[in-house]
Amino acid sequence: MKGERQLLRLGEVLVGWACQRLPPEVREERCREWAAELPAILHDPQVRPAPRRAARMLAYAADTLRGTALAPGSTRRRSPRMFAALDQLFPVAGLVVVALNIWKIVQAPGNMENYLWMLWGLLLVAYLTRKRVSPAGRMTALLGISATLALGAVFLGNAAQAPEDWVNYFFAALLILPLLVGLPLAWWLRSVQARIGGRHAAPSDPWTF
Amino acid sequence: MTGPLERVLTAFLADPAAPRYGYDLMKAARLPSGTLYPLLARLEHQKLVASAWETPQQDGQRPRKYYQLTAEGIRVARLELAQASARRRRAPARPGHPAPGSLG
Repeated sequence: MKGERQLLRLGEVLVGWACQRLPPEVREERCREWAAELPAILHDPQVRPAPRRAARMLAYAADTLRGTALAPGSTRRRSPRMFAALDQLFPVAGLVVVALNIWKIVQAPGNMENYLWMLWGLLLVAYLTRKRVSPAGRMTALLGISATLALGAVFLGNAAQAPEDWVNYFFAALLILPLLVGLPLAWWLRSVQARIGGRHAAPSDPWTF
Repeated sequence: MTGPLERVLTAFLADPAAPRYGYDLMKAARLPSGTLYPLLARLEHQKLVASAWETPQQDGQRPRKYYQLTAEGIRVARLELAQASARRRRAPARPGHPAPGSLG
């Protein structure tokens, strides 16, 4: 199949991310097992045409991420100290943005940009707080997407005010385009996964016997 | 017993002696990988399923891991499925919902 190596590589990257969440004692074996299934899915003679096999393989790899996120014993890769510090710093920065923009709104209630910045700050704080409680939850994803869209809206607003400044277009595109591509792709992969068998999967923790 | 577990056990019992790859089980049980593998890990931990690596093939394909019900696993699976079936007959559950009193 054309692009087979790249597809396999992409699948391996997804499986690798999933494996990073597993406890160290099972990580290597699971990684080997899942990576070995990828070419088997990609060459499954019972599934035609080839793009369907490719979608299945990617859905398989992507769903291992979901499975490991649900695992009670799952561990994320230990963050370096700098990232741990950033984890603490971002919610504070979000609150500072909210406070600063409330003050700006009081000073100039007619400026739309300040409302957008405040909205972004609130969504960022909500996302970071929710992420600590439920890293793989639907609400976490929704808040993350909303925060990204709000920041994109800030840059689009700036672009409307200063049409000659390409930096605003660049950052708006950087934030919004991946969502425009990624969300339909995620939805499509999810529907493919449901066709393989996820349609009737229990929404509860699959580790429960 | 949860619906996914019931489907995995049914898939295994279709041919208890046959070793099954993860992807084969996914297709047979109609479960996504993120649901199937945690279940298999749990069954393996309870010694109801045994796993082994296939011998490396000459064509350079990476060896795959396969799963098989143990003797105890076959016994428990048959018992669990029979009980689930009996429960369903006694109290028909709504589709997608476990019957009252079931483990799922």
